[in-house]
Parts: sequence; structure tokens; C-alpha cells
Amino acid sequence: MRRSLPRAKAGEEASRKAVRYSAFYGGKVATMPKVPIRSLDDFSIWYTPGVAAVSKLIQRDVELSFEYTNRWNSIAIITDGSRVLGLGKIGPEAALPVMEGKSLIYKYLGGVDAYPLPIRVTDVEKFVDTVSSLEPALGGINLEDIESPKCFEILERLKGQMAIPVWHDDQQGTAGVILAAIYNSLELTERKIGETRITLLGSGAANIAAVRLLGEAGADPKKMIVVDSKGILHPGREDMDQLLLRNRWKYEVALETNGGRVTGGLEEALNGADVLVAAAAPGPRVVKKREIAGMARRAIVFLLANPVPEMWPGEAIAAGAEIVATGRSDFPNQVNNSILFPGIFRGALDVRARTITDGMVIAAAREIARFAKEGGLSQRRIIPTMLDWEVYPRVAATVGVKAQEEGEARRRASKEELGRHAREIIGRSRKMHRVLVEKRIIPPPPPR
Amino acid sequence: MEEISVREARREDVEEAANLVVRMKRLNNEFDPLFTVVDDAPERARSYLTTSLESKSSLVLVAVKGKSVVGILRAEVRERTFYKPTMGGNITDFYILPEHRRKALGNTMLERASKALRKLGAQVVTAEFPARNEIAVKFYSKRRFRALTNIYAESTE
Repeated sequence: MRRSLPRAKAGEEASRKAVRYSAFYGGKVATMPKVPIRSLDDFSIWYTPGVAAVSKLIQRDVELSFEYTNRWNSIAIITDGSRVLGLGKIGPEAALPVMEGKSLIYKYLGGVDAYPLPIRVTDVEKFVDTVSSLEPALGGINLEDIESPKCFEILERLKGQMAIPVWHDDQQGTAGVILAAIYNSLELTERKIGETRITLLGSGAANIAAVRLLGEAGADPKKMIVVDSKGILHPGREDMDQLLLRNRWKYEVALETNGGRVTGGLEEALNGADVLVAAAAPGPRVVKKREIAGMARRAIVFLLANPVPEMWPGEAIAAGAEIVATGRSDFPNQVNNSILFPGIFRGALDVRARTITDGMVIAAAREIARFAKEGGLSQRRIIPTMLDWEVYPRVAATVGVKAQEEGEARRRASKEELGRHAREIIGRSRKMHRVLVEKRIIPPPPPR
Repeated sequence: MEEISVREARREDVEEAANLVVRMKRLNNEFDPLFTVVDDAPERARSYLTTSLESKSSLVLVAVKGKSVVGILRAEVRERTFYKPTMGGNITDFYILPEHRRKALGNTMLERASKALRKLGAQVVTAEFPARNEIAVKFYSKRRFRALTNIYAESTE
């Protein structure tokens, strides 16, 4: 507890600054021209009458919209504000600052133009119609902070009907980065994924997606156990029919996992388990020391709830865990989507991908793991940090190549070309920002 | 893997089969509040099945794996006073535990029930379930059943 006080103070300070700076800057992102405007005459090139020639070309072949407009680099970050990180159902307007923050990360780390777009739509049908109608302007969709199980249906349906990548970061992003961290944790503790017993605490978007992705990556679903607020998930549970009708994704997980038909709670689920992935509820007493103590030796423990992990990492280590990761940057091993999503979309956009498959996410996770390994693995370093700039173009190139292998790319390029291109775009984005700051076009933050 | 067999229910099946009946009634509750399950449903289910086993116009089939009952189908033969054919076999309860679904067990039980109902004099087989149960609609439609009667409800309370 002693350690948490300075962190709490730091959190309060960040909150105060966020409010003051947001008012000072009037939000975090803006659009700006990327073509020269030498005089007002240039308007006749970029706008009417010149622009009509470009429109006519696209009218004949809509695919040219990826070449003659910024569509190739544009995505929308769409939410209904129904489950915003740590805040819950706060509505679309209140979700806008969060979406702006995400947009900023996309641009700074991935060079992606991401438009924050909270929408006032709660009905799944209308949500799907609204988002799919945006397709002509975009190269991709990032769904964000949508409550479960609605998010599963929306993702499934949009992926089925849109010819651009639709990504739900709370599912695929979190699952992908969990997988990357698991790859290296298994290597450090000399385990094979197919033989590893994995317990997942929490059955929200992240863990339901993680079960699927881990399975695709070679983990044995029968050796996975999911625990929710009612205990261990298994096909005999009384609420199975309710799940069938209300959350069929969780129903499927209940059928596919827990081959040993273990019943009970977290303690029973962790008995002899190799890995715990907790993405449940803010702690610190959600997971207990005695539960970790019951895990296999050299246990791997991910405590991903924010702002307070399900238990403090020090306690997990004291209880016998060898590797501990959290969702926070002030502890070692931050399992953070931001390592993945900028590179994923950079790569997908650069090959004009039609979708982002599990195969592409797994390839990205492997590349992230490989990158960390090249820098040397240790208990305190299983995954890169957000400051490892080179990881983003590496992920982008890997994803671009995988999209081509899977037949989901509209454009072909080699891994080297994709890496070079991603480095250029991300570098340009950061350079533009640096220049704007240095020239004080973006003024320094206001004094206290 | 232990085989699942389908047979007519016996007295010793009643306890487990009653649990499945209650699970099915609770599933019905998901479709409409007028299917809110009574507190003593387990006892009622036991009595309901015991009476059915004794009745000559009822049929109770169970799917059994080892010693466990994993599925139940209850039906009864009724006279259709004004219509031809005059005797119908109506499936009133049909439930399979989640773990044993999607393995054609439903099909096996339905075929077995149709044959047994025919022997009991039924010339047509019908099935009743909540109107909003789309899974059941799909199941029966796939097997060439069609909607026959609508029951509309309005609470008077």
C-alpha cells in the first residue's frame, strides 16, 4: 500500500492537467491540409473545378478512392460510449476525449489519420447500418469501448459486410498483446503453448477474444479455464441457456474450454495452472495470494485491470509467481494495446487490406514477442514498451505480408518495402508534430 | 467416449429428468415473463413426470450417457375433436443439456418420439414451445414442421 500513494497522487495530478490542458487546447486532434497552397489559385486544383476530374475517375472505379484521396490512411474510431475505460456507460459526448486520445496515439505511433467518432446509437441494427454507411470514406474502422456482448455481434456483423478492416481494440487488440506477452513468458519459463494450462479471470470482451486467439495460436482450449463472477465456466452451469440467448460467444467458450470440467471458483481454477490472465475488475484484492500460491511452479500472472490491478504485482511475486505483467506503465511488463494497434492498422492500410484476420493478429503478436526477445528477455521485460519505436513499423510490415499471404490485400509489397514505407509515414508524422511544437504553432501547455 | 442411448424413461430416471424439465422451463422464462417459473418447480416436475410415466397417452423418452440423463422428451397423444387426422401426438417438453447438443441427438430423439407416438395412435406430430424461441423454430422448420396454431396472451393482473 505504501507504493500506491505516490501513484495515486500522480494520477490526481494527471487528471488536473488533463482538464486544464483540454480546455486550453480545445481538444487533442485536428485535421490539416497536406498539400501545398501557394496561393488561392491552388484552390482550383484541390477544390472546384479541378477536383471534378478526380471525382469522375473514382466514379468509374471506386477502388481509385484509395489512390486519389486520403482514404488509404483514414480510419474512424467509433464508440457508443457504453463501456468507456474504467468509466462505464458515460455516453458518446463524454467518450469523445477518450477517442481523441486514441486518435492521437494512432497518428503519433502509427501515422494513421484516425477520426474520433462517438455516435448516439444504442441499437445493434442501427449501429451496424450507421458504421457500414461510412465505408466509402474510410480505409478501416476501429470500434472502441462498446459494452459486451453487444460488441461481439457488432464486430461479427460489420466484419461480414464491410470490405475494409473492422477492428475492435478491446477484443482483438487486447487479445493480441496478451498473446505476445504469453509467447515470451512461455519461452522464459520453458513451456510449450499446447501443453500450458491457462486460467482466465473475467469473461468480458478481452478474455473471450483471448480464448479464441490463444486457441488459434496453438493453445489447447480444453486446458483453458474461464472464471467469471459466478465461478468457473463449464457446460453444466445453470445459466448456460441464458448465455445461449444473451451471450452466445461466452456460451461457446463454456462449451469449448475446461476439458477437465473443473467446477468452483478462482482457487480451483488456479490449482496447478501455469498462466493466469486476469482482465476482470480493478483490485487490489480481486486475486488473493493463496490463489496464486496454488499455481504451478514458475507461474505466469497477468493482472490487467486498470487503474488498479487485480492484486499488486509484489504480492503475486511473494506468492510464488515468476513473471508478472499489468496494464500499467509504472510496473514492469505493461501489457498495453498501444504496442499493437498502431502497427496493425499501419500494415493493414498500406496493403489496402479488406479485413484483419486472426492470422494477422497472431503474426503481429509473434513479431512483438520477437522484437522484445532481440532486446533480451527477462522477468521484467517480456514485451516492448511504447518507447520502442521500431516495433511499430516491424508490426506493420509483418501484418502487411500476412494480409497478402491470406489473400486479403488489395496491394502487393515486400516486407522490406512495407517496413520502409511504415518508417517513413510514422517518422513524418512525429517530425510534423515536433516541428509544430518547436515552432510554437502548438504552444507549450499553460503554466499552473 | 461413452455412447449416448435413447430409451423410454423409467422411474429411476425421474429425479434427473425432472432437473432437465426445470432447466427447460427456466429457458422458456427467457422468452416471456408469462413463463416465470414457480418456486416449487422441481417437485412439480417430479410429479409431472411420474404421472406421465403412469399414463398410457403419454410418452417420456430420455437420452442417457452412462448413468446420467442428458436429454428428455415428453409428449402426449390428444384427440383432435373437430379435425382430421383425429389423433395427434404433441411434444410438450424437449430439452438436451448444452454439452450434448449439435451431435444430432435432438434428431434421434425426435425420430424416436415420432415412431412411438405413431404406435400410440398419433397420425400427426406437433410440438409446442414459446413463440419467441427462434432456436426451436429453426429446429422444427428444418425437419419440415410448420406453424399450426398461435396462442396470444395478455396478462389480466
